[in-house]
Amino acid sequence: MESSSMDNHESLRFFGKVSASVSHEIKNVFAVINESAGLLGDLSLMAEKGMPMDPERMKKVATSIQGQVQRGDCIIKNMNKLAHSTDEAALEVDLTQVVELAVALSTRMADMKQMRLSVGECAPAKVVVSPFKLIQLLHGATSLALDKMSSQATLAFSVAEGDDKATIILSVPGQGINLTCDEALEALAADMDATACSNKLDGTLELSFKRTV
Amino acid sequence: MKILLVDDEVELVSAMAERLSLRGMDVDWTDSGVKALHMAQNCGYDLAVLDMKMPKLSGLELRRLMSEKCPDMKFIFLSGHGSEADFKAGSAEAACYLIKPISLEELIAKIEDCDCNG
Repeated sequence: MESSSMDNHESLRFFGKVSASVSHEIKNVFAVINESAGLLGDLSLMAEKGMPMDPERMKKVATSIQGQVQRGDCIIKNMNKLAHSTDEAALEVDLTQVVELAVALSTRMADMKQMRLSVGECAPAKVVVSPFKLIQLLHGATSLALDKMSSQATLAFSVAEGDDKATIILSVPGQGINLTCDEALEALAADMDATACSNKLDGTLELSFKRTV
Repeated sequence: MKILLVDDEVELVSAMAERLSLRGMDVDWTDSGVKALHMAQNCGYDLAVLDMKMPKLSGLELRRLMSEKCPDMKFIFLSGHGSEADFKAGSAEAACYLIKPISLEELIAKIEDCDCNG
């Protein structure tokens, strides 16, 4: 397979993986709403037959349904942002906003491994990149980092700015874990005129981009 | 028939348990595979309804561990996924495999079917 075909296949695999995760989450949202609505129906039927109805119980179930609608809306908004990240081949983006989106899209992957993702201190850095490739790079880096971590650990993301570059830093605070890079991640970064490397001094994984502002 | 429901979506599994209880079924629930193993250690359940995808212990792993301990226990899998591989794995390992969101009536029919077959 030629390099560009391989790149396209990897991009499709990434998009498919995120789509599968999102569809699974949406199915769960529908399932909770389905059971909560069914429970409201059951309680109403019982009330019709003369059983006392507890208003607080009804409110709790209604609140659960509203919460799930908000959860579903948030999931769909993030999926929509990923879909629209393919609109432009290159665009000036705020790194913090893209990090937050990538973290939201990767949270289920971390949840399944009983690990957490958190966004820490972020400098207001803007770079010109392919938004889709940047999300793919962050998802790949997250997946690589989670493979090195143990259950209950937290992967932290931060953004730092220098004179001519901005860097996204992935770290696992307090765990003594050295995050590593691999050839696929390096190649993906290079394709964006960026670099991906592990910092052997502090065990972090760094993704660096040329600054535009 | 005593039933154990296991799903990491707390609001889902608690509502499902309440609805089955309202229909006279003897149901316990938990949101964790590890807790489920602990609850089933004395083989007090006839049937477990397991979510396929859960953190730490998947439904398939949980089914294997429970079956080793309690060979007569029956299983029904629930999944949000509709992938071919999951369907084949789930169907091969359990009495049946239902896709979320489920119909409670269909689940009850499957539970009763397990009861008859048991």
